Amino acid sequence: MTSNTIINIQNLSKTFIGKTEPAVNDISLSIRRGEIFGLLGPNGAGKTTTISILCGLFPPSSGKINIDGMDLRGDLDYIKQIVGVVPQDIALYPTLTARENLNFYGHMYGLKGKALRDKIEMWLSNFGLTDAANRRVSTYSGGMKRRVNLIAGVLHSPKILFLDEPTVGVDVQSRTVIIDYLKELNKSGTTIIYTSHHMDEAEHFCTQVAIIDHGKIIIEGTPKHLIEESLGSTNLETVFLKLTNRALRD
Amino acid sequence: MLILLRDRVGLAILFIMPMVLIFVMTLIQDSAFKSLNEKGIPILFVDDDKDSLGIAIGQGLKNSELCSFHDSINGKPASADEVKKAVADGGFLVGIIVPKGATEAIRKNVSSLVQQTLGTDSVLSAGATKKMSDSVEISIFIDPITKKSFLTSVTSSLREFISVIKTKIMFKTFSDQLAEIIPDKKTTTSSVFEKTQIIKYKEVYASKDIGEIVPNAVQHNVPAWTIFAMFFIVLPLAGSMVKEKNEGSIFRLHTMPSSFLLLINGKIVVYVLVCLIQFILMLSVGLYFLPLLGLPTLVLGNSIAGIIIVTLATAFAATGYGVMVGTMATTEQQGAIMGALSILLFSAIGGVWVPTYVMPQTMRHLSAFSPLNWSLNSFYELFLRGGSVHSILPDSMKLVVFFFVTMSIASVVNRIKRKI
Repeated sequence: MTSNTIINIQNLSKTFIGKTEPAVNDISLSIRRGEIFGLLGPNGAGKTTTISILCGLFPPSSGKINIDGMDLRGDLDYIKQIVGVVPQDIALYPTLTARENLNFYGHMYGLKGKALRDKIEMWLSNFGLTDAANRRVSTYSGGMKRRVNLIAGVLHSPKILFLDEPTVGVDVQSRTVIIDYLKELNKSGTTIIYTSHHMDEAEHFCTQVAIIDHGKIIIEGTPKHLIEESLGSTNLETVFLKLTNRALRD
Repeated sequence: MLILLRDRVGLAILFIMPMVLIFVMTLIQDSAFKSLNEKGIPILFVDDDKDSLGIAIGQGLKNSELCSFHDSINGKPASADEVKKAVADGGFLVGIIVPKGATEAIRKNVSSLVQQTLGTDSVLSAGATKKMSDSVEISIFIDPITKKSFLTSVTSSLREFISVIKTKIMFKTFSDQLAEIIPDKKTTTSSVFEKTQIIKYKEVYASKDIGEIVPNAVQHNVPAWTIFAMFFIVLPLAGSMVKEKNEGSIFRLHTMPSSFLLLINGKIVVYVLVCLIQFILMLSVGLYFLPLLGLPTLVLGNSIAGIIIVTLATAFAATGYGVMVGTMATTEQQGAIMGALSILLFSAIGGVWVPTYVMPQTMRHLSAFSPLNWSLNSFYELFLRGGSVHSILPDSMKLVVFFFVTMSIASVVNRIKRKI
């Protein structure tokens, strides 16, 4: 592991209690600082399980994980401080307003006072939510909820941001705004680990991708490199379909 | 806190419904208390004797705190034939008929007995034996819904009246007979008989230095239903925790740099506060609103510190239990059913619905395991017996231990669930 590596995963496996097949099977990965790393795969491939383990939601069955030079098992408190998570589901309180939600989550990260207020206002303004900030989240459109969901994960300016399908179910406008701001965030030094079903989006957004299926990493590299390596493929989607086949997944 | 404030229905359940519950339960049980303690049970009395016994029984019933005395139906003097029908129709719970010549029969029997004892009239002795077989039959008609305990009280009172009259007659007859044997002796007056009643009873409720606190519906119901309402916060608390799981907020919270207990601390503070507000509201119902309906005012005893300790201990116990249920439940329905049923069960065995002293022995043993019972006992100790901080400490400590045990269980369950 070099000093440029921010996440190092060695032989990571996870088998849930009562299951015989592992959800994640002996994965090893190295993610460099400042990268936008795409973890791509069909439904049930093990993407969300991997991200959940990396952000300390539940422990792995085996394997070693090192984040920013710290061991995940031993230094979870530090790791949680430097990590931001944007879950696939909208993790907000629907009866609270966007501002109240962000205020609460900001406090949970130890932010307070003017610093917190300024950050909330900046992000609300960036995502075009200032006017709706005092409305209950339950009244928001899917795209608006996604944007607030994202802000809640980046308020504390994390070193590493985990994004689990951040643009699922949103309109093109919201998607463009979200991707643009994520690129800005990355430029400012945040490493992004991102899962998605949108291959086109991943191809243009990610600097590095790994395709995962049945809990195993099938291939890893830059999108450009993967397309060139796969004979007859012109984009990431055809590479993906070739590697994971066209059979439907649950 | 904000989430709770936004949930108006939830707030209504938390604050208004328990107040309504106290109003309703106290009013209902007040009539039950009155039926035993005040002039509530209607008795129809027919005195065909028109002599000492009939008059004494009638007077005794009139003065009795057990019943409301009636000797007429629709303004007309009741007859013996009408009594059974009136009771059967439900107009009266008990009907009593003292037959004609009842006093005279007692008099004759006593007179024969005295004469036999003193041997003053040997000629009469043979006949007296026959006359002594005359018996006095007082008819009592009972509505089947009448409580057995009340019936026992009425028959005991009747026996007492008969016994007093019998003794009076015996005393007078002895006195008269002795006057005949010893001519110099003056006939004893009835006032002398009254003086022989040297054993008297005084009923005092065994409370400590708080004057005359009479057990009534308010003293029993206000603390009982307040505790019930405080424990009912389990429902919204567990519900909000399950909601967080389902809505995904808990996912985000678990990825944040704070422990489970720290995450839950906010909820504990809010719900303990809710319990305290509930307590103040319920108490104000007992102190200010129930008296407006003609009910007795709640008497708080003489230990404010004791009340604060028990209230806080109860609030923490209820909150801890809510956190435990919320951690264990995986769906809102599960949380609601688990929470509601367990609280109903705890309250039933804890003596909220029926006092523990009327429960069978086995249930009384079980009630010692209900946190509601520990709380209720403490409030009874303060409100009814005038207890001090010292006397409520054991049960309050149990409530505090219950809080820590439930929180520990919640923490372990949470850890197990997150290991998946």
